[in-house]
Amino acid sequence: MSVFLRRVRLIALKEYKHILRDPFTLAVALLLPLLFVLFFGFIIDLDYKHIPLVVRDNDQSPLSRRFLRQLSAAGYFDLAPAHGMLAAQAALRRNDTAGVLVIKKDFGKNIMKGDFTAPARAQLLLDGSDNTKAAMAQAYMTGALLKINADFTRLYHADAAAANPDALVRTRFLFNPELNSRWFIVPALNTVIIGFLAIVLTALTVAREWENGSMELLLSTPVRAAEIVLGKLIPYFTLTLFDVLAVFVLSLYVFGIPFLGSFVLFTFACCVYITGALALGLVISVITRNQQAAIQFAFAAGLLPSFIFSGFIFPVENMPLFFRIFTGLFPQRWFLSLSRSMFLSEASFAALAGPMAGIIIFAGVMVFAAVKKLKTDVEP
Amino acid sequence: MPALGAEVKNISKKMGAATALRGVSLQFESGRVHGIIGPNGAGKTTLMRCLAGLLRADEGEVVYSLDGRRLSSARAKEITGYFPQEPSLYPDLSCMEHLLFFRDLYNINRSDFETRSRELLAATGMAPFAARAAGKLSGGMYKKLGLMCVLLNRPSLLLLDEPTIGVDPLSRRQLWDLIYKFAGESMTVIITTSYMDEAAACAKVHALDEGRALAAGTPAELRARFHTDNFADIFLQNG
Repeated sequence: MSVFLRRVRLIALKEYKHILRDPFTLAVALLLPLLFVLFFGFIIDLDYKHIPLVVRDNDQSPLSRRFLRQLSAAGYFDLAPAHGMLAAQAALRRNDTAGVLVIKKDFGKNIMKGDFTAPARAQLLLDGSDNTKAAMAQAYMTGALLKINADFTRLYHADAAAANPDALVRTRFLFNPELNSRWFIVPALNTVIIGFLAIVLTALTVAREWENGSMELLLSTPVRAAEIVLGKLIPYFTLTLFDVLAVFVLSLYVFGIPFLGSFVLFTFACCVYITGALALGLVISVITRNQQAAIQFAFAAGLLPSFIFSGFIFPVENMPLFFRIFTGLFPQRWFLSLSRSMFLSEASFAALAGPMAGIIIFAGVMVFAAVKKLKTDVEP
Repeated sequence: MPALGAEVKNISKKMGAATALRGVSLQFESGRVHGIIGPNGAGKTTLMRCLAGLLRADEGEVVYSLDGRRLSSARAKEITGYFPQEPSLYPDLSCMEHLLFFRDLYNINRSDFETRSRELLAATGMAPFAARAAGKLSGGMYKKLGLMCVLLNRPSLLLLDEPTIGVDPLSRRQLWDLIYKFAGESMTVIITTSYMDEAAACAKVHALDEGRALAAGTPAELRARFHTDNFADIFLQNG
């Protein structure tokens, strides 16, 4: 083994000892990803269910009651009857309900007639102060109505095409047929975990050596910058790779997310992305030489791109042009795209080449910057 | 390998807004124990860092020579051992883990390591504490461990920045005994101290104050020149 590799292994082994003997680092490295998965996988659910809805049934016919039973059975709405419009409006003001559904008179009679010039009418009043929830409720209502319309058409022989031309358009969602938000969020968790945790872990490592004075002693020996950088990267690389694989297993077996892509390609992408994130942490550590400053920089460099610029929550396509270009600087955007594609579709290598190039370039630049920025002297 | 000589030629160094060294020229002949004395803020640590290759002089240069031949800074660094003034060991690593770390860092073979580590542990009286973490050592033992780490490579130039500061009198004595045990034909020692009594233990003394070299010579020469037995008077007379 060459002197270079021997020194890299030596620094890595020393770093392993520091990690294993520091319960805080170990807890952050191993428990934080699990907390992330639990938090995002179980608690954050963008699928609103059991939306409270007050119903004022002005028809009180067997058909209006059947309509409400079917609406309730869909599971998206918890219906509560209102005795008069005043009571319904009061419930809205008190924030007891997300909206009011008013069924007009002659609702049942018009359905039975099947005359499209006099359709059955109902009105949905939604609380627009929470626009996301209101939009979701509207979407669920539309979906439920389509299904109920089809049932009623079948049962009461109405002319479906005349009564509801939209029913002829059949929408089918590919890759995530139920538009389950968990399928959307969990495959992106690796992006956030690596993009945040890996940066924080290595951001402390060189800064800690500067603070406890050991860097001065280390730099007085013949050790070279590349040996220190690689030696520091290896232990945190294995630790983060373990986290990623743990999250992968949880995604498949706890959250039931399908994985349709190539596992080999996914692992390769993870390795590249981890290297880039760890090297960015090292660059921060090397420049700041101070743990407090390093952790603040690492939070800014890890949190913002992971949550805001990656497309994790806000779609990049909807951002203004400047930010669409700006997000391209962050590997989180590219890896997130890779991860979602590989989990939910059998994307070809050609389709993944662009994002893959993005993370490879970032990793290369960061490792080079870490080696270049790590001075082998104590000059300020 | 023979001892390494060093010559500081008119070096100046600014550290931020403060000027730490102002045109200092000093000659460190090989194979001797050199003491750099001076009050706090005299520029001793900056000078040591320049000698260790950890700081670059703004002006002037440090010239190393081995057996009369000039040596590059990079080559000199490989055969120089430096132990800084500030705590610089890994608190969670044991004494033996430190020795093993420096063995591999300096690429020392196993048989040489066995011999040298046994000798160093015996000389420092640290053998019973080999498994103790550096963070749990007393001040004196901590310095001894640092000294063992840098001596393991049998450096041709040993730089010790205030190794006895904060150390009890008995441990100070033991540290000096250790330095003299290894100093000689194959090792030049440069040691900084703000304890004036320690200057008498050096073969040659260099007085430094406010970044300037005040005087250099054997302890006897300096006593004669400044008409005093107390080296602190050199600085008082200069002030």
